[in-house]
Amino acid sequence: MGFSLAAAAAIIGVSTLIVVGTAVENILPTMIDTNESYDDMKNRASDQVQTDINITSVITPSNGSNYDLNFTVYNTGSVVLETSYFNILINGTVQQFTSTGSYLYPENEVYFNVTNLPGAGTRILKVTTDNGISDYYEYTIV
Amino acid sequence: MGFSLTGTHVIFFIASVIIAGAVSGVFIAVTTNVSTSLSDKGDRVQDQLDTDFTIINDPNNIPTSGSDYLFYLKNIGGKKLATTNETFQLLIDGDIVATANYNFTDSSIQPSEYTTIYVEETLSAGDHKLKIVGPQAIEDEFTFNI
Repeated sequence: MGFSLAAAAAIIGVSTLIVVGTAVENILPTMIDTNESYDDMKNRASDQVQTDINITSVITPSNGSNYDLNFTVYNTGSVVLETSYFNILINGTVQQFTSTGSYLYPENEVYFNVTNLPGAGTRILKVTTDNGISDYYEYTIV
Repeated sequence: MGFSLTGTHVIFFIASVIIAGAVSGVFIAVTTNVSTSLSDKGDRVQDQLDTDFTIINDPNNIPTSGSDYLFYLKNIGGKKLATTNETFQLLIDGDIVATANYNFTDSSIQPSEYTTIYVEETLSAGDHKLKIVGPQAIEDEFTFNI
């Protein structure tokens, strides 16, 4: 009778160890990965809150019958921004551009240039940073 | 009489081993299923945390191309976004846009990149609301004016 009990206890004990091992093996990596994703999301949200830009010094020299657009973006936030991932929209349409720097550091500015734009009159310029923060500027082509 | 006692012990032993084995089997099976489900749920939560996007259009100037309206979708999350009619659903003013009526210029976009959505819809002049529901039901709303 005692031996039966010992055998049953041993079987259940071994199965408990297997269960704990399986659970730890499956759940622990998931918890670590989820925690890393949460930290990344927290950092992205924090970066967005700390990102701010200001469009200044917009000039529109003529380029034949069209015009070029030169302007400065000043980083008034505290996050380093990657200018190649900026989006420039003029009257709602995305434009190709060049810039004088790959990174826009806090309290610094980078010059942007969009060439050979058609049209006249008042235009709305929108600049969106790599993390989705935007600034608008209205200018008139003279 | 002696054999009966031994026989009884053997029967008890076998029965206890069978019962303990059955209990262990059920225990292991249930725990494996639960831990697999938890792991899957963790993966989904991880995907939700990594996914984020926004519409970057100028709300007063929605560009058009033929009969299509163009919307720019920017990936501001931490992982590559698959941009297809299966992964994204569009609603304009609360009405779902048929999957045949919109398409993306790219099949996927890396973090910080954008893609253009061509939406073929007839919209009246005035204010409208576009809701984009992406992977893991992450969504973004965008109010614009035509």
